[in-house]
Amino acid sequence: MASHNASGHNEEHHAEGMYVPFTSQREVVNDLVTKHDKISDKWLSGVAAAGFLLVLGVIGFVMRVNDGVSDRMVWAYYAMMFSFILTTASAAPMVAIAPRLANAHWRRPVSRVAELWSAAGIFSLLLFIPMLWILPPLTDGRRSLWFYNSDDPFFSKVPVYSPHIWTTAALLSLAALGIMLLWLSAMPDLALMREHSTGWKQKWSARLSGRWIGTTEQWNMLHHRMGIVGALYFMMLVFVHYLVSTDFLMTLVPGWIDSLYPLTHAANSLQAGVATVILTMFFLRKFGGYEDYFTLDQFWAMSKLLFALSLLWFWFWFSSFNVFWYGKKPSEQAVLKYLMVGSYQPAFMAGFILSFVTPLLVMMWNRVRKSFWGPTIMSVAVLAGTFFDRLRLYVAAWSYPGVGDYRVDKHEIPFDSIPAANMPGVPDVLIVLGVIGGAVLFYLLAARLIPPVSIWEQKELMLYKLHKAYHRTEVLVLGKPR
Amino acid sequence: MQEHVQLSQKKINDDLLAGVLGMPKWWLGAVGFLLLVIATGIGAYGYEINKGLGVTGLNRPVLWGFYITNFVFWIGISHAGIMISAILRLTQAEWRRPVTRVAEVMTIFSLMAALSNIMFHVGRPWRLFWVYPYDFSRGLFMNIRSPFVWDPSAVMTYLIGSTLFVYVALIPDIAVVRDRATGKFAPKIYGMLCLGWRGTPRQWKLQAIAGILLSALVLPVFVSVHSIVSWDFAVAIGVEGWHSTIFAPYFIIGAIHSGVSAVAMIMALAMWMWKLDNYLRPDHFDAIGRLLIVVATTWFFFFFVEWIFALYTLESPELALRELQVFQAPYMWLFLAFLLTSFFIPVPMWLFKSVRRSPGLMFLSTILVNIGMWLERFLIIIPGLARRQPLQFDWGSYHPSIVEILVVAETFAFVALGMLLFSKFFPIIPIFDMKEGMQVREEIKIGRRIVPASIRETP
Repeated sequence: MASHNASGHNEEHHAEGMYVPFTSQREVVNDLVTKHDKISDKWLSGVAAAGFLLVLGVIGFVMRVNDGVSDRMVWAYYAMMFSFILTTASAAPMVAIAPRLANAHWRRPVSRVAELWSAAGIFSLLLFIPMLWILPPLTDGRRSLWFYNSDDPFFSKVPVYSPHIWTTAALLSLAALGIMLLWLSAMPDLALMREHSTGWKQKWSARLSGRWIGTTEQWNMLHHRMGIVGALYFMMLVFVHYLVSTDFLMTLVPGWIDSLYPLTHAANSLQAGVATVILTMFFLRKFGGYEDYFTLDQFWAMSKLLFALSLLWFWFWFSSFNVFWYGKKPSEQAVLKYLMVGSYQPAFMAGFILSFVTPLLVMMWNRVRKSFWGPTIMSVAVLAGTFFDRLRLYVAAWSYPGVGDYRVDKHEIPFDSIPAANMPGVPDVLIVLGVIGGAVLFYLLAARLIPPVSIWEQKELMLYKLHKAYHRTEVLVLGKPR
Repeated sequence: MQEHVQLSQKKINDDLLAGVLGMPKWWLGAVGFLLLVIATGIGAYGYEINKGLGVTGLNRPVLWGFYITNFVFWIGISHAGIMISAILRLTQAEWRRPVTRVAEVMTIFSLMAALSNIMFHVGRPWRLFWVYPYDFSRGLFMNIRSPFVWDPSAVMTYLIGSTLFVYVALIPDIAVVRDRATGKFAPKIYGMLCLGWRGTPRQWKLQAIAGILLSALVLPVFVSVHSIVSWDFAVAIGVEGWHSTIFAPYFIIGAIHSGVSAVAMIMALAMWMWKLDNYLRPDHFDAIGRLLIVVATTWFFFFFVEWIFALYTLESPELALRELQVFQAPYMWLFLAFLLTSFFIPVPMWLFKSVRRSPGLMFLSTILVNIGMWLERFLIIIPGLARRQPLQFDWGSYHPSIVEILVVAETFAFVALGMLLFSKFFPIIPIFDMKEGMQVREEIKIGRRIVPASIRETP
């Protein structure tokens, strides 16, 4: 068993396998700090475009506010966009958490890209606020996770605004955990910026990096805290999806009792989160000047994840569908008719094809997975598929007549009176564009404050990897600290 | 692994072939005892065939009892093999090396045990061939809407895939045994089985590719098998507690929970019986313990969601069933035992590193898990059927007969015997994988620390 000194071997330059373009840690620091300090035209163009879209969204929102909050149907697309951001941006930090817990080295340049999407978590929290007024209390007799029952002496004491209260609390916790994770992970880099940057950035980083000087104790504590906050973020993410998909979706469609769906909602968000990060990596590589960091290693690893999660999409969908379809229960057949084969069939088919069929047929080929364009195009497909899937579910649920009206049966849709699809109006289109623009704007602004590629994780990789000759070939040796 | 023990290739051969080329003292006694249990079970089953299903405790309304519970349990155990082998192989987890074969072989024998339970349950096993179209010229086909077609098809596919999986991984080791076996027939049989393995670069390459391909191909089968078993229940709308969309993932994660626990249990047994302390290190138990914490917690979350949604319907029959499960004897005691043994005792234990690193405590805690998971299947199947319906003509309950108990015991003995016999003829820890592990292991010195490392081929 040979023992090697990492620093000696890292002086060689290697083009493949956990590629780091620089020979010393100082070069990595200089390169990343310089890139981050510079305000590029491309970044300014991105901010301008995202800001413009956000303004359009605000116009659409104001138009909808003029329609009032009593008719939930007009807010269906708004609800859909809230869930879309929750599904994509809020799930993206999981890409940093899971591989870090598994000690995967390929994740190092990707972690921060993913964590920065926590900033968009704040945006999803803002989007949620109007929904508190739009969704009625539990007094209309619909099913609820909180078991409110006005006729029961015990369950009548349940607060009628329980969905609003608990979902707000959970979303707040998720946003706070996301920001905490981002801050923890950025602390060593902020300390570096404190030493290397100038002006407002130095002041900002000095304040946020606290007393970080990189002692062994501080590093141990940091790893420990990142592990705990990461695990909590994952649990809170699943919990938020559980609450939102039940109280803000399923309960609005009479007869829709699908115990798997909260988990499907969460699993879909992991798939969309991976797609979001791949797309961000691509943009950072193409327009941000980070092509030395986002190499085939990262795209290949991420595309495997995306492929696996696309297969999971199908399995979860089919598990629910099969039980409803084979069971032939009238109330469940009506739900299938409403959400899949009736008015919203085009959206369902688009979601099915883009989220599952296309990734399956395209990403089964290793050549596609191990490329820059393959995973990127598939990420666009998956995000579009997620958009249509959320559309057919949230728009359908929020458009179902009778929500809030206690006289309407909340336990079964009459099979023969399936409502027509709710088509988007101009304000809805503006809201869709505005919400996407808003999330991107939050990301771009956050990326100005914190380097989008983790400097300390890149430096750490240089310590843990070396190349060595092995018989007639060359191999990569990767250290796996416990 | 920092506690790694570097061994020479000769030492690995000697240690891991000791059980194949020699015979431990306890081996014959153990085989004899297991054969006795199996013979008793077969006798009981013969009695059942002779007298009919009336000798079991099955009666209206509970027509699925111990056998189906046991069928689902063994299907669950079988999921360990692929979980441990295929997934850990694809993710290149180094700690998998000594564990994979135990898990894969257990998959095969537990699948056989599961299939035999269907045969015990049907009452007229001689009509089993109806599962497949036996005579095309007569235009007779099986009823593809029946679970009795789904289950054997899925389980047989999984059995074939898993057997191939084990066999491909076994070829280099069979060649090692071939070169050391003595006697007239043994070298010839091993020679045939190893398909002319000489260890050329091309053979190694093909073997590695076949292993990866089979890993990837068998994964969907692995998912489909327990999904299909769960749909046997979930697509039925007549029994409260069964018609739930979460069943497929819930059954799979439960299967992984019980399967991985069973692997940890057998690892401890193998370590004690074959003195494999150099190969099955506390680090391996630690890794499995960590994996089990994640799996068990996920499983418990699925269990929780399943329950919440059962209550969420607010339908009185569903609520009555849950009340029967939790508040009425004897199910309430079984329910309590199930919760304690499958989650509330083992998981807090695994949170302590000293427990995870102790083979004895891991053995104990994983036995508890499997008791709990057997009870879980029982509690899913029986109370739903036993719940009293508005019409009184078929009110009844279920008590397993001695015949059922003996037959179920036989399946446990069968799996144990299968593992023992396998380990007599083939190495239970993959020799080539262990040697490869020794080769790819490295260390990197960072400052004053030495970090364990492993070699990866550059892409």
